[in-house]
Amino acid sequence: MEQSKLVLKTKVTTLLKSPYIQYGLFAVLLSILPMLQEIGILKSSEITILGSVMVYSIAALGLNLLLGYSGLASLGTAGFMGLAAYTTAYFVQDLGLPYIVAFIVSIIIPLAIGIIVGFISLRIEGMYLAIGTLIVAEILLKSFTQFSDITGGGIGKPMGYPNIAILGQLTKNQTFTLVAIVLVIFMILTYNIVRGRTGRALMAMRGSESAAQAMGINILKYRLITFGFATIFAAAAGVMWISFLPRIYPNDWGLTVSLNILAIIVIGGLKSIWGTLLGSFIVIGVPNLILKNIPIIGNIPGIPNIFTGLMIVLVIMYYPYGLIYIGHDVKKWYRYIKNYIQKLTNKKNNIDEVGK
Amino acid sequence: MMKKIVETYELAEGIVLDIKNLSMTFGGLRAVDNLSFQIKKNQIYGLIGPNGAGKTTVFNCITQFYKSATGEIIFENKNGEIINLNKVPVDKVINQGIVRTFQNVELIKDLTILENVLVGAHIDFKVTLFEEVFRVGRVRKEEQALRDKAMEVLKFLGIDAMKDFLAFGLPYGISKKVELARTLMSNPKLIILDEPAAGLNDTESIQLAHLIKEIKDRYQCSILLVEHDMRLVMDVCDQICAISFGKLLEIGTPKQIQQSKIVQEAYLGRTDE
Repeated sequence: MEQSKLVLKTKVTTLLKSPYIQYGLFAVLLSILPMLQEIGILKSSEITILGSVMVYSIAALGLNLLLGYSGLASLGTAGFMGLAAYTTAYFVQDLGLPYIVAFIVSIIIPLAIGIIVGFISLRIEGMYLAIGTLIVAEILLKSFTQFSDITGGGIGKPMGYPNIAILGQLTKNQTFTLVAIVLVIFMILTYNIVRGRTGRALMAMRGSESAAQAMGINILKYRLITFGFATIFAAAAGVMWISFLPRIYPNDWGLTVSLNILAIIVIGGLKSIWGTLLGSFIVIGVPNLILKNIPIIGNIPGIPNIFTGLMIVLVIMYYPYGLIYIGHDVKKWYRYIKNYIQKLTNKKNNIDEVGK
Repeated sequence: MMKKIVETYELAEGIVLDIKNLSMTFGGLRAVDNLSFQIKKNQIYGLIGPNGAGKTTVFNCITQFYKSATGEIIFENKNGEIINLNKVPVDKVINQGIVRTFQNVELIKDLTILENVLVGAHIDFKVTLFEEVFRVGRVRKEEQALRDKAMEVLKFLGIDAMKDFLAFGLPYGISKKVELARTLMSNPKLIILDEPAAGLNDTESIQLAHLIKEIKDRYQCSILLVEHDMRLVMDVCDQICAISFGKLLEIGTPKQIQQSKIVQEAYLGRTDE
């Protein structure tokens, strides 16, 4: 009886260790959140913020592939997000095409542009690549303002919640679940990319270019592959953004968004999927959910940026690989405290015995 | 219609690599000057010379890290075709059957030892990127097969117990072994070792000498090595080529090299008596 219980327990723990199971459970957890709103535990505005956290997470996962795993810095994430968002809105709103078709086209167009940009700019590296991608993002940003027939210019472009073939018109909470599912799918894809041959090739490229080349890794090809992935992730995030938020404006796609996404992975954790989510929650979620509700502090203008800046400084000082690695330390402290308490009780027992 | 002209190269029987009149200049400096030598199949070949003689440059020319070398590097590749390596891009050299180590051990610090060795099997993966992203069954199977192969190599080198250690802050001897394991993953025809014994202590050097011979026998490949540890060189090499300032001094067996007047002069200087 005892033994079968033990077997079951080990089975459950090994099952829980599988990342796929973890991601699946995470998806379930996320889809519970709208229900909490319906029974009144969460506010509708909080659901909006949590949705944005997830949207940012998708884009940040892509940047993490680029910066964390391959060591390439990009400041163009927001531009590609915007491009995808406007494409979706244009195809659904103006052309009346089905949402799924718009989704696919909105990924293919930024991807095509991304690959062209990558082909030109990936021969340079470091700072210059960041500048190159920033230029592309600024060009896109300028086009969003200029082509106001399509983008609505400063008035903004509405789309409304998606209407998916089988499911029909989604409500806000259902769209939240859609975003959650897309996020979890992208988490799984990231995991698949990272743990296999491609992931190793990317890390080899980052660790030692000459070793990578000697092992048959084509540097330009793999840079292009990651850049392509990062663009797909950013595009998917853009589509989710327009699906979940009522209206988009050209200013939504400025440098601030790209920098926030950069801050997310720096704070959360380079080369970590859960770290990316944690970072996204800290950078996007915490200021809007918690800080704004604190009296006095909440009234300071620009508090989210101050908070993000402070977090970057602290994290780089104490956890240069990201806050997610605090987990190891927590375990260490736990063990330390446990040992300490054990020692104390042992000592007491010894004294008692001597006393006898 | 134009016919594609395919240049054909010739290689004498039993030779795997033939370097013909190799020259490499950096600005005004002639690092390698009209150097020629041949490596036979299943031979351990030593390249020696004083500091700055251009040994590593020769390696970089063979493995195509330096592209502007003149001369010909003729090689019989894995498929038995005879090719000029100068026409092969740097990241395709391993496909031909040449793999190298580096003077300052180039391991990937973010990866474990096992994963580092798997990087060496990069070209052996047949799955497409698409299959990999969606991790179909074939991906798992292939990964498992190559993992098993990597474990075999690690066992052969005696470091299988450390497979899950990160390749960061490892003792020098272990790092060198991991790098060796990485080269063995691709079933090479020619392994190029850049100072394999640098930083090793005496016992480790002796072990390494045995290991190099064992690798040659087990994998049926040729080995070209640059080394300053003369005891190791004299112990393991079948043939040695001594160079100085990029120029050939002498080619011969270890004994011949030891007795060569020119080599002694290059290392120790001339006595004007």
